Amino acid sequence: METFLIVAGVILLIIVFMYNTLISKKNQVENIFAGLDAILKKRYDLLPNLVASVQEYMVHERITLEKITELRTQALKDNLDNSTKIALEKQLSSMLGNLMVAVENYPTLKANENFLHLQGTLNELEEQISAARRAYNQSVTDYNNAIEMFPTNFMASFMKYDRKEVFSVPANERQNVDVKNLFQK
Amino acid sequence: MKPNLASLLDYYYESMYPSLKVLEEKRLHTILTLKKAAAILLAIAALLFLFLTQNTLLKPLHAFLIVGIGGLVIFMFIYHHESAGYGSLFKDQVIEKIIHFLDPSLIYDKTNSINEHEYQQSELFLESYDRFSGNDLIRGTIEGVEVHFCDLHVEKKVRTKNGKEEWTDIFQGLFFVADFNKAFHSKVVVLPDIAERSLGVLGSWIQGMNLQRGELMKLDHMEFEKFFVVYGSDPIDSRYILSHALMEKIVQFRKKIDKSLYLSFVDSKLFLALNYNKPLFEPILSRSLLEFDYIKDYFELLVMILGIVTEFKLNEKLWSKR
Repeated sequence: METFLIVAGVILLIIVFMYNTLISKKNQVENIFAGLDAILKKRYDLLPNLVASVQEYMVHERITLEKITELRTQALKDNLDNSTKIALEKQLSSMLGNLMVAVENYPTLKANENFLHLQGTLNELEEQISAARRAYNQSVTDYNNAIEMFPTNFMASFMKYDRKEVFSVPANERQNVDVKNLFQK
Repeated sequence: MKPNLASLLDYYYESMYPSLKVLEEKRLHTILTLKKAAAILLAIAALLFLFLTQNTLLKPLHAFLIVGIGGLVIFMFIYHHESAGYGSLFKDQVIEKIIHFLDPSLIYDKTNSINEHEYQQSELFLESYDRFSGNDLIRGTIEGVEVHFCDLHVEKKVRTKNGKEEWTDIFQGLFFVADFNKAFHSKVVVLPDIAERSLGVLGSWIQGMNLQRGELMKLDHMEFEKFFVVYGSDPIDSRYILSHALMEKIVQFRKKIDKSLYLSFVDSKLFLALNYNKPLFEPILSRSLLEFDYIKDYFELLVMILGIVTEFKLNEKLWSKR
């Protein structure tokens, strides 16, 4: 009887431990996503300013600017799920990247103090977003490991936990920058 | 002009050589004094030993030990007294001159060190200590980045098995503080990875249990992870500080110097500690000052330290720090 109680106690402890591990990993993912979201929000707040200060100079980039405004409106809608947010963030990053390359064609804009300040702030936010993405990917990897590895996988399927997706780097960011091509534009 | 070995050679012969010749005489004189002292002490010790054993006052072994230890203590006292004077002159004539050759704006204070508060703030070594000493404080601005560093020695008192008290090192070597190029409010500590290297997965599990240090950060740079273990207070901030580029530079730096490297990032400052297990800027009494190679060693050490700023690109500030 005593042995049975001890064994049952140990099993219970293991179950509690596994349950708490999974919960903490899931919360870690959510927590870091919230951190990422906060940085993205900062960037969204900056965009109207950016658009306002560049549109009078960048007459040929009207479409890019409109697209940026549109993406911002979409991203600020409530009840978006994580994957949609990530997809919008990716598109916006690549749009902003294009815009910053196009700035090279507008020397007067490049000398504008206000624009330079915005560009600096955006660059810094990009750094923070990249850090948050890496942190998010690590937490998702930890979480995915936990729900796929023995013995926590049983507990995870019982709790109906699914794999989460890591951020993938957009294909155009992964390629090395073709400097020659940039000059020919 | 960036100082290099060729320009140092010119500087050595033009500006340092005349005063080094004088100092070399002082060095030879010091060695001669020490030799004389050793000879006299040896003679006294031998006579005393003979006297003690001839008159059977003590057993030969006891007499030998007492005379030997006594002689050694007196010799050490004389050695310290004599070499301290030479060491101080050496720092004025060699170390200070090399520093001014490298960067005339740097300020050298041979007797001062970083303060204890900064050592504690760095959180690199959490062990409690009983003796904090350092010297050779160098401070100034390199490429727009404020830095200061010194030769630091931190020890603690431990009791050995037979009840004796002994001093053991917590850290001895270079302690370097610089303004970091990014603004942040959290804390990241990068330590040499000993547990994971020797114990593998089990080691990594033990590292995760180190509650005193904070949360263990797993980073996405394989080589960096092999060399170091990282603790931080915020996962996003830790990666903001330790960008891929910086991790790569730290790995390259660690490979180049091949010594235990400790880093921490606290309150927008970078703290770096390099374990040397010996004083950094003390002279070696037995080596001649007129050998360029000997002076070159100190030059290379200082170039390496001052190079940390550009090596880690601390001068390329992000917007918020401009």
